[in-house]
Amino acid sequence: MLVYTVRRVLSSIPILILASVLTFVLIDVSGDPLSDLRMQQPPPDPSVIQLAEERLYLDRSMPERYWLWMTGIGGHGDIGLLQGKFGPSTQSTTYDIGENLMMRLGTTLRLVGAAMVFAFGLAVIAGVVSAMRQYSKLDYSLTFIGFLALAMPVFWFAGIIQQAGVGFNELAGSMVFATIGDGQFQAQGLDFWGQIGNTFKYMTLPTIVLMLTSFASWSRYQRTSMLEVLNSDYVRLARAKGLPNRVVIRRHALRTALIPLTTVVAVGVAGVIDGAILTERVFQWRGLGEFFITAVEKNDSYALMAWLLLSGTMVIVANLIADLLYGVLDPRIRYE
Amino acid sequence: MSEMKVSAAPESTGAESVGGAERTQMQMILSRFLRHRAAMISLVVLVLIALTAFIGPLFWKWGHTIHLDIPPNQPPSADHPLGTTTAGHDVLGQLMRGAQQTLKVAFTVSIMGTVIGSLWGAAAGYYGGRVDAIMMRVVDVFMIVPLLVMVSAVAGNAQAGTTWYAVAFIIGFFSWAQIARVVRGVVLSLREQEFVEAARAAGASPGWIIVRHLLPNAAGPIIVAATLLIAVAILLEAGMSFLQFGIQPPDISLGQMINDARTAAATRPWLFYPPGVLLVVICLTINFIGDGLRDALDPRQTMVRR
Amino acid sequence: MHKRRKALALAAAGTSAVLALTACGGGGGSDEGGTKEVTWVINSLPSTWAAISSAGGSVYTVQMLSGVLPYTGQWQPDGTYEYDLTVLAEEPKVINDDLDAGPFQYSITLAEDAVWSDGTPMTGDDLRVTWMMGASPDEGYCTTCDPRSTTTADMIEKIEVDGKTATVTLKEGLADPEWMGMFDAHNVAGGFYPAHLAEENGWDIDDPDQLGEYYTWLHDTRPEFSGGPYMIVDGDLENQVVKEPNPEWFGEEPKLDRIIMTYNTDEGTFINAFQNGEIDGANPAQYSEDIVTQLQDMGEGVTLTIAEGNIWEHVDINLGNEFLKDKELRTAIFTAINRDQIAERNFGATYPEYELKNNHIFGSDSQYFEDHITESGQGSGDVEAATEILEEAGYEIEDGTLTLDGEQVGPFRLRSTDTVVRNNSLQLIQAQLNEIGIETTIELTDDLGTMLAERDYDIVQFGWSGTPYFATSAAQFWDSESESNFGGLANDDVDEAAEGSATALTLDEAAVKANEAVAAVVPEAYVLPIMAEPNYFFVNDRLANVQDNLQSSYRATYNIGEWDIAQ
Repeated sequence: MLVYTVRRVLSSIPILILASVLTFVLIDVSGDPLSDLRMQQPPPDPSVIQLAEERLYLDRSMPERYWLWMTGIGGHGDIGLLQGKFGPSTQSTTYDIGENLMMRLGTTLRLVGAAMVFAFGLAVIAGVVSAMRQYSKLDYSLTFIGFLALAMPVFWFAGIIQQAGVGFNELAGSMVFATIGDGQFQAQGLDFWGQIGNTFKYMTLPTIVLMLTSFASWSRYQRTSMLEVLNSDYVRLARAKGLPNRVVIRRHALRTALIPLTTVVAVGVAGVIDGAILTERVFQWRGLGEFFITAVEKNDSYALMAWLLLSGTMVIVANLIADLLYGVLDPRIRYE
Repeated sequence: MSEMKVSAAPESTGAESVGGAERTQMQMILSRFLRHRAAMISLVVLVLIALTAFIGPLFWKWGHTIHLDIPPNQPPSADHPLGTTTAGHDVLGQLMRGAQQTLKVAFTVSIMGTVIGSLWGAAAGYYGGRVDAIMMRVVDVFMIVPLLVMVSAVAGNAQAGTTWYAVAFIIGFFSWAQIARVVRGVVLSLREQEFVEAARAAGASPGWIIVRHLLPNAAGPIIVAATLLIAVAILLEAGMSFLQFGIQPPDISLGQMINDARTAAATRPWLFYPPGVLLVVICLTINFIGDGLRDALDPRQTMVRR
Repeated sequence: MHKRRKALALAAAGTSAVLALTACGGGGGSDEGGTKEVTWVINSLPSTWAAISSAGGSVYTVQMLSGVLPYTGQWQPDGTYEYDLTVLAEEPKVINDDLDAGPFQYSITLAEDAVWSDGTPMTGDDLRVTWMMGASPDEGYCTTCDPRSTTTADMIEKIEVDGKTATVTLKEGLADPEWMGMFDAHNVAGGFYPAHLAEENGWDIDDPDQLGEYYTWLHDTRPEFSGGPYMIVDGDLENQVVKEPNPEWFGEEPKLDRIIMTYNTDEGTFINAFQNGEIDGANPAQYSEDIVTQLQDMGEGVTLTIAEGNIWEHVDINLGNEFLKDKELRTAIFTAINRDQIAERNFGATYPEYELKNNHIFGSDSQYFEDHITESGQGSGDVEAATEILEEAGYEIEDGTLTLDGEQVGPFRLRSTDTVVRNNSLQLIQAQLNEIGIETTIELTDDLGTMLAERDYDIVQFGWSGTPYFATSAAQFWDSESESNFGGLANDDVDEAAEGSATALTLDEAAVKANEAVAAVVPEAYVLPIMAEPNYFFVNDRLANVQDNLQSSYRATYNIGEWDIAQ
C-alpha cells in the first residue's frame, strides 16, 4: 500500500505538469492581462505600459514564459514555482499571489469543510433510511427533498435562504443570522461562547446553501448503493443466519455501500469548491471562489495558475484518499 | 488476501431472465418503468414542457427578443400571459425559448458526458494496470482543470458571443471525467467476478465484454450519473449565467432569465417565478425519470422481496 | 463575471478620470454602549492601498481612502467648486497666466495648523511629492511609478516650496485651465500624500529610485497616517477597513466614533443586508430596477436618491466600414435611432425623470450646457426623415432591405459589452434600424478595450465617464491623433476646437472651444450620445448629513467628516 501511495504521488506530478501546460496555454490565449490598462482613458503613457509588460514578462514568448513560471530562471526573482514563487499579478505590483491564496484557502476550507461534513453525515443517514424503507412515505419524502435540492440553482436558492434568514431575524427581533461576510472581523475580541455564537451567525446560511447540492447528490448515491447491497445474496445470507437487522446493516451492508460514496465524495471536493465560487459570491466571503473570479476578471494569469495548481493538488489528494479507502473498504480490490 | 466469495452477481443480462418468463428483458424493463408512477408522471410533464418549448414558439405571436409593439413592464394580461419586461420582452416568449435552449444544452451535455465517460471508465477499469493508470491520469487532468476556467477562456474569445451549442460542447467536453471514475469503480469490482472471467474464457473480445457484460451491469450507476448530469448541466448553465459566462443575449436561457430577475421576487414576481419554477420542475422530472429508469433497469432488486 | 465586473465604461475626461464605475454610501451598525458606529458599503474590492497607479486606480480605492487623504478642494453635489479652506490657508492664486510674459504659474498655501496624524506639519513638499509620483516615468522623477494618468502632472515644470507654500510653474508655453485640480479630491491620488514619511523610512524623494520605493510602499502598506478627519485603524483589501477619528485633525471634529467600510461585490445582496441591519446604505455601480423598486416600497426609514451618474452611454460608428464611411447613411442611422425609447425602456419604470444627453461634454446642469443634438434630428427615431435622407442619397429600400446600386447595405455588426442596459439598448437599436431596412447582428464582447482599439465593430455602444473637468475631453474623444478616437474621425474643425479647449487659459474659454468641437462633430454623425445612466444611492435614515455626490469618485463619502447619527 505504501508503495502504491508513493507511486501515485509520483505519478501525479506529470498530471500536474500536463494540466499546467494545458491551462497555461488556455489562459494565455484567453485574454490580454493588460487590457484593463490599455483601455484606460486617457491612455496611459507608453512607458507605463512598457513597465507593466516587463513586470509581467509579457515581452517574452509563451513557451519562455511557461519555463520561467516553472523555474524562475531569468526572472526578476518574483517568479518560479520550483522556488516557491507564483509570479507577478496584474492586480497590483505588490499583490502577493501565494500569500493571498493561502489566506483565502483558510476561509474557503472553513466553509467547504463544514458543508462537506454536514452533507456527508446527512447523506449517509438519508440514503440508508431511504434504502431500508424503500417505497415508503419516508423514502418518497426524502427522495423528493433530495431531488428538489438538486433542482435549485445555487444562487437562486441562496437568495431565498437569505430572505428567509432576514424574515426569521425580524420575527426573532434580533440578528440571529447574518447574510453577508464571514464574520472574522466581528469575531475579534470575543470570548469562547461569543466565538461560537458568531460562527453560528455567519456560517449557518452559507453552509446550508453549499451543503444542499452535495447532500442531495450524495444521498442519492448512498441510497442506490445501499439498495444494491441490501438486495445482494450475502446480506440475505446474513439475515438468513438470523443476525439482528442492526448488525446486518452496520457490519455488512453499510460498509460495502459506503464504497461507491467514497469516490463520489472525494471527487466531490472539486465540485464543492466550484459550488463555493457561487456561494462565496452571494454571501460575500473572501475565499478561493472570489479569488478565482477576480483573477478571471483581471486576466491575472499567474494568479489563475496558482489557483489551478492548488485546486489540482486538492483533487489529486482527494482521489488518492478515495482509492486508498477503496482498498480498505473493499478487500476484493488489491493494490500491488 | 483471501477472495471473498460473492455470488450476488447476476448471471448476465442475457435474454432469459431468471424467472423463466417468456417476456424479453426490454419488455420487463418497460413494464417496470410504467409501474413507477412518479417517473411516468414526470415523463409526461417533461414531454409537455419540451413540446411547448420546441413547438410553442411556432404558434405564439411574440418571440424572445424585444419587440417595439410590446408595452414595457406590464404584469400578466390576456395579450401577455406572463407579463412583459421593462425593455419590452414578452416573458412567455422568453420562457419558451429559454426552456428550449436549456434543454438542448442539458441533453447534449448528458449524452456527450455519458458516452465518453462510461466507455473511458469501463475500458480503464477492464484493462487495469498500466492502461488504467494512464487513462485515469487523463481523467485526473480533466478533473483538476475547473470548468469555469475553460468556459471563461472559450467564452472570452468567442467572437459572436456564446451560443447554446458552444456552451453545451464546453460543459459536455469537460464533464465526463466524473462518470468515468464512477464507472471505472464499478467495473473494477466487477471484472474479478466469475461471469466476466467466464466470458473471457469463452473467447469474448474486450470490446464485447465491456459493452455486453460490464456496462449493462454498471447501468444503474451510469443512469443515476447520467440523469444527475442533466440536472448538473442545467444548474451549471445557470451558474455560468450568474457569472456571465453563459449563453449570450439576445439569445436566452432559463438560467439567464433567473439571474436577470434575481432581485425581482418582491417587485415583479412574473419575472422571478416562471423561469425559476420551470427550471426546478424540469430538473425534478428528470431526476424522477432517472429514478424510475434505475429501478426498471436493475433486475436484481425486483428479484428480492423483503 | 464575470464577466460581472469587467469595466463597464471607459473613463474619460480631464485630469482626474478614474475608471469610474461606482461609489457607495450608506452606513449602519448599532449604537451599543453609545458608540456611534456606521457600516458603509464599498461596491468592490480596492486592489491596492493607494489610487495613483493603474492597478489601484479605482473609485473603490478612492472611497476606501475617504477621510484619510487631505485635498485642496472638490466639486460639490450641486456642481459648484469649493476649495477646502480647512486644509488651505487661502484660495490658491494664479501668479501668471500671460504666456508671452513667462510660464503659467500658480501658488498654493496650506493652513498654518494643518498637520498629519503624527503631528508633522503639512508643507509644500507634500504637494511636490504627490506631483512627482503622478508624473510619467519619462519625466525622471520616479523610476518605477506607473500613474494611471499623467496629463496634468506632466505639464508641470517645477514646484518650489517655501514652508507651507508651493509655487507651481508649468512648462514653457503650456496653460492648464483646470490647474486647481492638481491636488484636489479628483486627482489621480484622490488628494495628496505626506513627504515626511518617505524620509522617515529612509527614502530621499529627490532620488528617482527611492521615490519609486516610496510609491510602492504607499500602494503596499495600509495607511496608518491621515491628513483628514478619520484614520484607518484596522482592515485589509479583502473584507473591510475600520476608521476612527484622527486625533490630530485640525478641522471640525468628526461626529462618528467608528466607520466600518465593508467591500461587497454583489448588488443582489444589498436589500437583504440592509433590511437585516448589516449595512445602512450603498451606492451601487449599476442601476437595478428591482432594488430601486424595493427601496421605494420601503418608504420610511430609508432615503433613496436617483440621478444621472457620470457614465454616459453613446453609439459610435466605425468610419472604416465601406458603407458607413458615407455621412448620409450615418445620419440616417442616427436619425432612425430612438433615444427616448431606449431610455424609457431601460429606466422609465422607476426613473421617469430621466434626461437624454444632448451635449457630449456638458451635463444639462452645467452652466456651459448647449443642446447640440435635438435640432439635428439625430436620435429622434424619425423613420420618415431617415428614409428621406437615404433616398436623397441614392439608397433604396426594397422588400424591407436597404440597398445601394442594387447591393444590400450591411449587415452591420452591432456590438457592446454584456450588461442589462446595453443588451436592451442593442436589441432596440436593432429593431429601430430594421425599420429603415438595415440588418444588424448583435455581438457582445467582454473585452471592450481590445475591441475598440482594434476597431472590431461597425456600430458600438459603450460609455464614457466624465468628471466635472472637461477641457481635454474633446481632444481625447475626437482629435484625429487621439488613441481614444476609435472610429477614425478626422475633421480639421473638430481638431482645432478640441485642441483649443485643452490649451485654453480659463475654464470659460475652454468651454467655448469644447462646445465648438461638439457643434462640429454632430454633423459628422459619428457619435450619438444617448443618456447618462442613472445612479442610485440609499441610506438608512438614522444617519444624518449623508448624501450622494455624483461629481466625485468619492460619491457619498465626499463629506465623510460631516456624517452623523440623526438625533
